[in-house]
Parts: sequence; structure tokens; C-alpha cells
Amino acid sequence: MDRDRSRDGRSWDWGSPQNRAQMDEIFFREQDYIQAGCTEHKEFWAFFDRFQRFKAKREMSGSGIRDDVKEKIRSGSEKVDLGLPKEYDARYRINVSVCTGDIEKRVRKSDPRSRQRSSGPGPQEVSDCRLALLHFLDFSQKQSFGKLAKLRREQKNLPIFQYRDRIVELVRRHPVIVVAGDTGCGKSTQVPQYLLSAGFSHIACTQPRRIACISLAKRVSFESLNQYGSKVGYQIRFETSRTAATKLLFLTEGLLLRQIQQDKILDQYQVVIVDEVHERHLHCDFLLGVLRSLLAERPDLRLILMSATINIKLFSEYFRSAPVLQVPGRLFPIQVIYQPIPPEEQPSRSEKLDPRPYLRILQGIDQRYPPEERGDLLLFLSGVAEISNIQEACQVYATHTRRWIVLPLHSTLSLAQQDKVFDVSPPGVRKCIISTNIAETSVTIDGVRFVVDSGKVKEMSFDPKAKMQRLQEFWISRASSEQRKGRAGRTGPGVCYRLYSESDYNAFAPYPVPEIHRVALDSLVLQMKSMDLGDPLSFVFIDPPPTASIQTAVTYLKEQGALDSRGELTSIGKLLAQLPVDVVIGKMLVLGSLFNLVEPVLTIAAALSVQSPFLRSSQQNPDCKTSCQPLHSNQGDPFTLLNTFNAWVEVKGERGGGSRKWCRRRGLEEQRLYEMVNLRRQFKNLLRSHGLLESEDTAPSSGDREQRRERFTERKKLHQLKRDHEQQEGTKRKVLRLEEGGEFSSGSDSEDRGRGRKSKEGQGQEVDIQEVKFKLRHNVSELQEAVGASQDLSSRHQALLKLLLCRGLYPQLALPDEHNTTRKDSDQVFHTRNKQGVVMHPTSVFASDPEVLHVPEDEPRETGPDRRDSSRHQLLAFVTLLETNKPYLSNCVRVPALQALLLVANSVDTNADCTRLVVDGWLELEVREPEEALRVLSRALSLRSEWERLLKAQLGQSATSGQGVSRRDMEKLSDGLVRFLLYTEVSYSLQRITALQTQNLYVGPQADPDSVYSELPDLSLLFPGAEAKPDPIKGGLRVTSFFTYNCLADSKDLYSECLRTFWSCPNCDLYMPLTPLERMHHEASCRPAGERQEAEEESGDGKSGSSGKSSLTRVYHCDVCDEDLKLTSTEILKHKRQHTFSAK
Amino acid sequence: MEQTATETPRNVFSCQLCGLSTSYTYYGQKPPNTRAIVLLEECFVAKDPFSPDKEKFLVLGSACSLCNMCVCVGPDCSLFYTKRFCMQCVKKHLDQFPHQIRAELAKKKQSSKSGVS
Repeated sequence: MDRDRSRDGRSWDWGSPQNRAQMDEIFFREQDYIQAGCTEHKEFWAFFDRFQRFKAKREMSGSGIRDDVKEKIRSGSEKVDLGLPKEYDARYRINVSVCTGDIEKRVRKSDPRSRQRSSGPGPQEVSDCRLALLHFLDFSQKQSFGKLAKLRREQKNLPIFQYRDRIVELVRRHPVIVVAGDTGCGKSTQVPQYLLSAGFSHIACTQPRRIACISLAKRVSFESLNQYGSKVGYQIRFETSRTAATKLLFLTEGLLLRQIQQDKILDQYQVVIVDEVHERHLHCDFLLGVLRSLLAERPDLRLILMSATINIKLFSEYFRSAPVLQVPGRLFPIQVIYQPIPPEEQPSRSEKLDPRPYLRILQGIDQRYPPEERGDLLLFLSGVAEISNIQEACQVYATHTRRWIVLPLHSTLSLAQQDKVFDVSPPGVRKCIISTNIAETSVTIDGVRFVVDSGKVKEMSFDPKAKMQRLQEFWISRASSEQRKGRAGRTGPGVCYRLYSESDYNAFAPYPVPEIHRVALDSLVLQMKSMDLGDPLSFVFIDPPPTASIQTAVTYLKEQGALDSRGELTSIGKLLAQLPVDVVIGKMLVLGSLFNLVEPVLTIAAALSVQSPFLRSSQQNPDCKTSCQPLHSNQGDPFTLLNTFNAWVEVKGERGGGSRKWCRRRGLEEQRLYEMVNLRRQFKNLLRSHGLLESEDTAPSSGDREQRRERFTERKKLHQLKRDHEQQEGTKRKVLRLEEGGEFSSGSDSEDRGRGRKSKEGQGQEVDIQEVKFKLRHNVSELQEAVGASQDLSSRHQALLKLLLCRGLYPQLALPDEHNTTRKDSDQVFHTRNKQGVVMHPTSVFASDPEVLHVPEDEPRETGPDRRDSSRHQLLAFVTLLETNKPYLSNCVRVPALQALLLVANSVDTNADCTRLVVDGWLELEVREPEEALRVLSRALSLRSEWERLLKAQLGQSATSGQGVSRRDMEKLSDGLVRFLLYTEVSYSLQRITALQTQNLYVGPQADPDSVYSELPDLSLLFPGAEAKPDPIKGGLRVTSFFTYNCLADSKDLYSECLRTFWSCPNCDLYMPLTPLERMHHEASCRPAGERQEAEEESGDGKSGSSGKSSLTRVYHCDVCDEDLKLTSTEILKHKRQHTFSAK
Repeated sequence: MEQTATETPRNVFSCQLCGLSTSYTYYGQKPPNTRAIVLLEECFVAKDPFSPDKEKFLVLGSACSLCNMCVCVGPDCSLFYTKRFCMQCVKKHLDQFPHQIRAELAKKKQSSKSGVS
């Protein structure tokens, strides 16, 4: 509308911003329905231009008048006069009017100047504008109503719609009902809505997957016309949209279980819907059991199980024959073609998959179906290796024919790469998505017409004997097979190629093995204990797990100290049950809270609880590898993760949005780091709420008012960004380019190439929503401060941290094979207590740097063919032992063997002079010097008892609100532990006990123990709380719960325990012949002179001075000054900076 | 349970032709917060669920000016031409409507027919 119009002799330019502003003053004032500056206002002016163009075209063609003549003729001869106007005007079709007369008048009066200059709008312009506005309002009404009508139409067309009233009625009349319906029947989105509109409120609907919670909440709130309200919300681990107004909440199964843990009768809900029960996840099976017993206490609670039409009877019968409502699914017909792989193309055990059968199918599709007939292909394989193998072959074919875009899909891909499967292919080209069973249920891709099913799946199982997880390939079940087939018929008729025969299919198991039968039940049993569900063995599961499986878990929890000998929760066990992590990681957190190591422990615990941020594919890329190098720590993988996280936080603080690029360059999946930072905070809050961490006292001090205001406005902006993003999210799918399939393995690099252009164009506008959420949730500078405390750990802190990890991970320890020095890097072998001959996972830092685990060559003194003495033996504490094609250790940390074992092992047995130690019945340590052996053992025993004491005090703190742990005690202990770890120079050999040895390991019970031990000193003094008595099985003397003295059957004299040797105490003047036990006794009670003095001072005046500032300080060893300094965290930073400046 | 089911009696608008039903928040010619805007008929009005702005309204339907039947504003159920007419009444008195409207209806009828077949 740039052209001027001449009316009333004046020219009015609609394109001029000033003129438009004048119109705005009439129609779009601040109090008006549409205000100048808002979205609708912008839309109006865009509409206005279109409208004017349309009118101009109309006028030129001169339509309209002719019809009016006809109109006049017709209306005369009617019986009922509708009173319609004689002349047609589109305006009559609009049921809205805008009254602005008063303002127009005012504008004219108040601005006589503009009138004189005749630059203001005349009545014609105003009426033009008003007309356009009316049409605009009508248009937006039609648009919104169209949406509403479409929505209602779609809802009506869903198969489940006709059961609407029946469902509501069943729910009203029965406490439990089962709704069974196949894919596409609409049960997940509709059933909650039916209940909502029937007046139910406080509805919880569980989902097995977090992502489904979010997407369902979004869909259902849209469908129930509450898109912008919070009537429908979701709650997952770190995120919630729940408010007081929320009536329907989508949440994960695990989260609902946690809620029941807090709220035993689940008062907050009136209706609980458990969706996808047929998937039989561990949490879901357990949740059903818990809800089943809860129904007795909550007769008013309504429970709805929703399932695919699989094994419905099982669910119904579990709930006293609950009524079942079966709803037909909505699938298009699918043709099934059985194409078993011919024997010559069957992969043999070690070989790679033969791609020929898969390529034939691609070829067949190209021959049979014209390219303009759309429809993508989804190929199911068992694992990542298989996928990249077939992908490679298909890619060659795709590059040649230019008719396919090959895309992998599995959970270890970056999210951006996973997301690509939803993009659309250009015309004439099909997507070939090669996926694990992730696309069977978790990920739903529309537009798939062809499915290729290999019939295989890799499933995790747990081997309780070897304490090892195992990922094995199996044939799928008939239920999975049908589910895979169904993926071809979601949007139209489809074809499913099965690479097995029909007889194979018939031989498949009907259903997959439920998770509860496959996995370790440690966490489950722990949770059951904390929920007071009684004996786990008698709990009524829908499909009870094997008894052995539960027993293994109970034993394990006892070993871990979470359960006591009677199977009751210990205080640490209670706490562990609250933490949503593996028991070992929970233990680390608790241990870390005792020492000044909370920050790094929080980070490591979080890092070990999420998938590794290091993308497998990009670690083969040399550039990524080089840039990751500085992050690696040869102390162990948890330290690499710690360094990575710390470096990332630093980047976040410096350049904010630049972190994405930083991650990409290193082949890191930033999403995992975001998960870590969230998890870390959750852990911190949990520790705080259990009194294990001082609550933050920095809250009000955060800056002056100015800063607070800044932060506030920033948050407001961030919230807006988040809302905007949510609104436009998922509106448009990108179109893939042919070349985009060509990339495999090298994740990050190709991503740069593929998306680089787009992101450059969109820079500035394109919001990194993760960054926005991160900023909303975390205060970067606070985080930096916290992280600063764990950066550049001194060697002392590092040693202590390693010990904590080791104690947390215990008994997950591995011993390097003695012949590793002579083996290739890739052939290094390790042994665990239950599994021999395991190897290092290639992602571990020890896979590329195994030398750090070897006993130094120069030092060992060969004393025999198989005995190697050194003070540098090391063990690995590991997080996972997983067997795929080989048993692999991953996430390992190395620790000094003797010290770590003495400090963490559950069972330490010795011979008479303590030179031979057997730990947990599988490791044997022989110390050369009896003198040293005694000293080390005695030191370890006293450190351990002190550690135990402080830990108990720390854990008991919240309950009894007693004194807790004094900082001084804690510092002394940590100092002692560090000294012990770093400065114990004892030469010893370390080997596994052979099977033969195990048989004659112990002397066994003694005939007349009294005579042997009659001369013993009072041992309760030696180890407080310990009752030293003869061990009924091993023989010897049980000194503490973990230490049994002189029970090893030895070639040496049984009576050497009575032999006294001269010994002088380093602390006092004592010099006399003592038996080993007498000596330990003395050592435990005799404290060094310095310490004694300190203790005296403390009881005197020392307290007041130290409690203030020094409580914030810690010992920091500066390597430059070579001094131990007592400084606060900030002082340490200052100190370090001083060195860097002076160095420059 | 039954209490909560009846606790929130809601005003539900239901189109007597297509069955579309959804709750409305206002009936009349002057929905709240519409300032200069006036409706030319008594309408069932709801908050526009597709707009983030709480004050945006959406007209759902009204009564036919001839037969008084409740109809939604969808083009298959009613049309507005200075007044609301349900489709049944429009068909009955088609000849009184201007050519433009008749042509439009004929065209729609044709396209919906070809869409079905």
C-alpha cells in the first residue's frame, strides 16, 4: 500500500508509519481490545495491507452491482421476509461492530493543528480502517473457531470416543478398571480428559518415560482448551509445571512412587491412571503392587490401568477381576512379508551382520513403489554396532541411487542427531531410519510405511553370581514383533518385512521378559524397606521376581551397610532410600558430606548417574580427542567427569551461550551436563534437608538492590524467552538434505557441517532453550563458586576423594592381573571377586593409559616366581561391570591397594604376626616386615573406628539433634586418612587367593579357646564397642566387625601371637616386649604428645578463637610455596592468582 | 467423588446441528474486556483458548434468528448476514439471500461432495 490515495483533495499514505500511528490512537489504545505493539496489532497491519489489495482488485473488476439488481427483483415475491438488506455487502456477514465515534471526535477536536494542515485522517480513512479491523476480527474469530472445531472433530473420530460415557461410568462404579487399546485408539490423551470433564479432579497419570509426560501434558492441555493455563501439568525429576490449579498431572512412575514414600495414603490424588502397564517396567510393576495394597486404605481412590491389548487378563486378575474395557485400535492394514535370511547370509558368531538381506529390501521398494508415493522405512536392529554396520552399507546404496536418506537412531546419539529422524525428506526421497528397539515404543515417527524387523533385541540382564550386568542379544517376543509391525500402519497402509520365518515367529515367547525378572533389585528392595512394606519376599507382585534375586539384593544391601543383620534399615540405609540413585552413589554422597568434599562429590555422584557426556562417536575423531585431552585425569574416569563439568561451568560463566560450541568441539553432549547440574542441585537439597549439609546462609546477602533488580529483570526476560520458545516449538519440521544421511560415526563434526549454516543465519534469534532453562534454574556465579572449591584439588584432597569413591563403590573392586605389564594396552586383564578376566572399557581413561596401574618396574624386588613386593600396588574401584561381547569395567578410579582395603573392606583376616592378610576371602596381602604390618594395621583400625564414630554422629545428627561432628575432629580424621593413604611406605605382595587355598584358609574354631586367649588384655578398650571373641567359623579372634585376628591357617607357629618382641612407642617412653595385640592396644590408647596438648587446649580456651573464621578454612597445600596453608576458598583463589600474576 | 463431580456446574454450549460442545463463560452482546467491540447478536462466548492473552474472546455460537435453534458459528451449521441463520433456515429461504451467498453455498456443497466420494 505505498501508493497514495487522493480523497477529499488530500493525500493519505497508508504506508506511512506516522499515519498508522494516528490510526493506532483511535483503534489500538492501551485500553483497547487490541493494543498497539502487541502481536495482534502487528498482524492487523499485515492483514490491512492484504485487505486493501484485495479491495482494490475487487473495485477494478467492478463486481457487486449487477447482483444487487437481481436481489431487488427476488425479494419482492417472498412469503416470509427475512428483512435482509437490499444491497449485498460483505460487512453484513460480520457479527461484530467497533464503536469509536467518541474518540474520533475527540481526536479531531483536540488536534486542530493537524486538521488545519489536513494531515490527520479523514472520516473516510477512519472508516476504511474500521472496516479492515472488523474483517480482521472476523478473520481471527473464524481462525480460532476453526481450530476448535477441528479439534473436536478429531476427538470425535478417535476409536475411544464412543466409549467415553462407559469409561466414566465404570470409573464411578469400580475402584479399579483396565482400559486396553492398541496404538492410535487415543486412550492416553482422551481418558484423562473424559475424567476431567466428568468433574474428577486431582488426577495423576503415570508414564514410563519423562518425555511422554511433557508431550502428553502439552497435548492434553491444548485439547482441553487449557493451553495457557495450568489445569493440566506435568512433573518429572527436575521439572514441573504443576500449580495449585492443576487438576491433571502427568508424572513418571518413579516419581509417583517417591510421592507415596512421602505420603503413604496418597491423599493428594483422587484418581490414579497408570498408563502403558503392558510395558512391564520395574517401577510400574512395583507401583501396581503398592497401589494394590493402598486401595484397602483408600476405598475412594480410583485406579485406571491402561494397556495395549497384551496380557490383559493378568492385570485384571491382579486386581480382583477388575472390569476390562477393550477399545479397538486404529491401524491401517499392514502386509506382512516373511523373508528369512538365507543360511549363507546368516552372521556367524564373531562376524559382522551381512547387509545383503537389508539392501535387497531397499532395492525391492525402489522397484515396486514409485518415488512420488511417499513413505519412509524403519529398520529394527539389536544394537549400535549392528546399526552402524548396516548404515554404512545402506549409505553406499543411498549415495548411488539418491533416493534414500539413511539415519541412525539410538539412545547414545546426540539429541540433535536423534531429532533428525523427525525431519522430512525432500520429494522423491525416503528416509531409512535404522533404529534399536527405542522406536518400538519410546519414539514414534509418523510417515513410516515400511518396517524391516530383524527380530532381534539386546536386553540387559543381571547375573547375580558374577554381580554383573549383561547385555545379550535375544529373539524378540511376539508382542514386540507386533508392536514393530504396527509402526508401519500409523498414517496409512504399510508393509512389514520380517527377516525370520513364520515358524520362528510362532516359536517366539508371547511377551517380553518383564524388567523385574532381569535386573538387580537393590534399589527396589531398599525402597520397599523404607516404605514399610514388610518382607520383600512376601510382597504380592503382579509377577513375583525370583526369590534368589531378592535375596541377592538383601545380601548386597547388608554388605553396603544399608540394612543391618536383621534386615532392617540402618540410618544410612534410610537416607539412601530417599536418594533417587544407585546405592553406591548414594553412599558416596553421604560420605562426602562428612568431609569438606561435598562439592566435588556432588558433581561426581551426578556425573555417574547420567549417561556419559562424551559421545562415543566423536571420541574417535582426532580433533575432539585432542581438545578433550586436558580434561582427562589418570586418577580415574570420575575425575575426568569432574574436570569436564568444572570446565563447562567456567565456560558458562565466561561466555554463557558459547558453551554449546565448546561442547561441540569436544564431542560432548551438553544435555548430559545440564542433567548433571540439575541432579547435582537435587542431591544438594536432599543432603541439606537431611541435615547432612549446612543450609546456605548466603541467601539474603546476594548483592545490593541494584544487582537483585538486574537479576529479576533478567529472569523475567528469560521466562519470556522460554514461553516464546514453547509456543513456537514443534511448529515446523526441517527438510532434510540428501547429503545429511551421509554422516556416520563422527557426530559433532558432521553436525557442524550439516547445521552450521542454519545456526549462523539464525544467530541471535535462535534461542538455546537449554541455556535459558539453565539460567532460570541456577545462579551461575554461585555455581562457579561451588565448583571452584573442587577445582585443582590438592593431592591431599584428591587422595581423600578417591578413598570416598572407593568406599562408596566397595565391594566393586578389581585387581589388575599380575602379568599386565607384559601385555598390549588393549589386552589388559582384571579380576573382580566374582568374575575373573574382565577388561577395561575402551572409553575409560585406563584403556588408553594402562601404565599408571602397573607396579613400577624399578621398585619391585622379586622374591619368588609369583610374588612381587611393592608399596605401590593399586586396585580399581568401578561403577559398572557390563558384559557385552566381553565383560567390561567402566568408570574406574585407582586407589592404593593396602590402604584402601584396610579402610573399607568388610572382612580382614590376619595370621598371628599380621604379616599375612586376607581380604574378603579373595585377596591376599603379604607384608614383608612384621613391624610394618602391625603399624599399618593398627593405624588403619584406629582411623576406621574414628571414621565410623564421626559418620554415626553425622547421620544421627538430624534425629537426635545432638552435637554432630566437630570440625576439628573431622579435620583431624581427614588429615589422618590422607597421611595414611599417601605416606604409608610398606612393601607387600598382592595376589588373589586360589581355589585350593580357599579350602584351607582358616584355622577354624579352637577346641579350647580360653586357654589360648587367657592372657588377653581387655579388648573393648582397644576398639570401643567391639566385643572381641573367638570367631566360631574362622577361628582366631574376632576383634571388630571386620577384623579377625590370627584366624589364617599358616605355616607359621600358631602360638606366635603370644610371642613378645621388644617395641618402643613413638609417642611415650614405653619400651618393652609386647605381643602384637598388646601393642595395638597400646597404640590405640596412646596419642602423640602434640595431639594430647591440643586436646587440652581445646578443652580450655581454644574454642572461641577457632570457631569463627577458621570454620571456613581448610588446609590447602600450595605446590609453589610448598607449604600447607589454612585458607578459605576465596583466599585460596586469591593465593593462586598471586602466583599466576607473579609468574607472568 | 460424586460431590466433586457436581461441584463445578459448567455452562456448556452445544450446537444442535453438529453436536460440538464446549463450555462458555459469557452469553450476551458485550463480552467482558472488549472495550469498543460490540457483538451484533446475543452470543455464547468463551475465552479464546488458542490465545495466550486472557482477554481474547471467542464466539462459539448463538440462536438462529428464525427458529431459535442453538447453532455454532461453523460454516456448516450457520451463517451470519445481518442476523444469525441456522443452515436449515438458510436452505428454506435460500432465495432471499444475495447471489454471493448462494454461490458460495453451492460451491461448498460441491466441494464437500467431491471430498466424500
